[in-house]
Amino acid sequence: MSATAVAAAPPVRIKAIYEHLDCLLTGIDRLKKAGIEGWTVMAPLPRHEIEEIIYEGRPSPVRWWTLTGGITGLTIGLLLTSLTAAQWPMILPGGKPVVALVPYAVVMFECTILGGALFTTLGAIVHCGLPGFFLDAAIQDPRVTDASFGIVFTHAPESDRQRITEILTGAGAVEVTTGDDTIYEVPNHA
Amino acid sequence: MATDVYTSGEPNRPESYGEANRDIIRVLLKPSVAYLALLAMSVATMLYGGWCWYQQIRWGMGVAHITHPTMWGVYIVTFVFWVGIGHAGTLISAILFLVRSRWRTGVYRASEAMTVFAVMTALLFPVLHLGRVWQNYWFFPYPNQRQLWMNFKSPLMWDVFAISTYFTVSAIFFYVGCVPDIAIFRDHSKGLVKRVYGLLSLGWRGTHRQWHHYMAAYGFFAALAAPLVLSVHSVVSWDFAMANTAGWHSTIFPPYFVAGAILSGCAMVISLLMPMTYAFGWQKYVNTWHFESLAKMCILTSAILTYAYSMEYFVGWYSQNPYEQAIFFWRADPSADYGWAFYLMVFCNCVAPAVWYFPAMRRNPWVLFIVAAIINVGMWMERFNIIVSSLAHNFDPATWWYYWPSWVEWGILAGSAGWFCTWFLLFCKTLPAVAITEIKEMIPPPVKGSLEGK
Repeated sequence: MSATAVAAAPPVRIKAIYEHLDCLLTGIDRLKKAGIEGWTVMAPLPRHEIEEIIYEGRPSPVRWWTLTGGITGLTIGLLLTSLTAAQWPMILPGGKPVVALVPYAVVMFECTILGGALFTTLGAIVHCGLPGFFLDAAIQDPRVTDASFGIVFTHAPESDRQRITEILTGAGAVEVTTGDDTIYEVPNHA
Repeated sequence: MATDVYTSGEPNRPESYGEANRDIIRVLLKPSVAYLALLAMSVATMLYGGWCWYQQIRWGMGVAHITHPTMWGVYIVTFVFWVGIGHAGTLISAILFLVRSRWRTGVYRASEAMTVFAVMTALLFPVLHLGRVWQNYWFFPYPNQRQLWMNFKSPLMWDVFAISTYFTVSAIFFYVGCVPDIAIFRDHSKGLVKRVYGLLSLGWRGTHRQWHHYMAAYGFFAALAAPLVLSVHSVVSWDFAMANTAGWHSTIFPPYFVAGAILSGCAMVISLLMPMTYAFGWQKYVNTWHFESLAKMCILTSAILTYAYSMEYFVGWYSQNPYEQAIFFWRADPSADYGWAFYLMVFCNCVAPAVWYFPAMRRNPWVLFIVAAIINVGMWMERFNIIVSSLAHNFDPATWWYYWPSWVEWGILAGSAGWFCTWFLLFCKTLPAVAITEIKEMIPPPVKGSLEGK
């Protein structure tokens, strides 16, 4: 087979299922050390061990969405109250200000919280890739929402199939499937 | 309520992630006759409330007994009551999340749902109170053509912002928390149900990317919701404290109202979760440890309320303001119009919760359930006592009169309880009422060797 023919081979799906967290972490670690990319880890719950090994302490950018939302909300709260009062400049008794920031602080506070929450929702949707209906079918496995962990390649080069499979199996995967076999339906409990 | 399953201390956790799934999913199976009977009762009560509202729309506000000087009656009393009920949910889900309190896990999802449904119920009342419901859009701040500009210096306007923000943030926080658990339901169902849960789960897959950003967002939601616990009922209290009505115009109202709201909310969580725990067999997830912790919250907030009630009288006396003195002494006069309301309030909120100072009493399910019900009654009476007595006995003796709710007002009050219970019962059978993912976080992860050095 020529080099051109190998390069043209379509990418393959590879999925490994793990029943033990330490085996999953070993698999992730070995993939990283081998310089292999393009994998997705699936887990039934958030585990800090997985987060640490993958993200190595890098925080989520969602925090910038929260900050932006808070500042936007605060600005809207200030402008809504002040400009509304400025449109109706009543002469108030006792020298009270038309634009009174102390009572407006309540509205500004509420707008800050609301803006922060709405932008955080938006940030979570964007960064989590939601709605996730259009993700590769292999990145959904009822065993994962139940009790198992998984590592999935949706576009692994055909040339790396053997090496990836060996790494995943060697780390303690209970099942490694490739191609369309990665799409799995478990029997229904309900 | 059998006491043999009622063990104290942290409950035994399920042994595996799969066991936690199955225990919670089991609740979704065919509803029992008792559940259907409760649901039918709730719907019937809600419909009766709707019929009473129809009477009010058809015949006008005259069918309610709110009239000058008591322009705020049962509707505003019940509005404040339901907003207060909503407090415990956010306290448990947000503040206890930030301080990593372990007893929160079993009870927070049901408490959050209670918050959302309680605020939904509360939001009905400004509309009901308005009379001309078709003009309720006047509540909202918008620049209109009638030169009716919103007055942002009014506490009523602050309240619109506070309650609508609280509802939005609580609903988002509740739904976001449910998403991974709904995905579990999706993967364990079939047919149309699977499709509905699939849509509600937003296609959640549990990837490392999703968990990373989800947990960050969840932490921010908790941090944003936490100050709302303190701010919302403070703003509600300013609806009263900013007025110069005797008995309302007090600087202690915000902490006093917040403590009362947490007391009523925690009592309502006990009232709702106790029967649920036994009906669904969830002693593995919710037990005495949780109820005792809730009872301790009630003891603390009841003590704060007792102090606030005393301080109101002290300030009334110390101020030497004749109107303040008059209203407080009149409220406490057993022979006065609302003397019974005052003493019922003191009994329910100060005396009855004191039995929980004895550990055996706060570990007994019957005592817990009965005292929680008494507190719920007491907290409604507190709002009745504050709102109605001050208005009915205002500055001008010529306007004094005795307000007693009409059958329409009682019917709408009952209907609001039916509306709340209907939502809560539907929630129990359709969404994860115990947070499955967070329960899993408390189970030691399955390992073949060791996590040392990983």
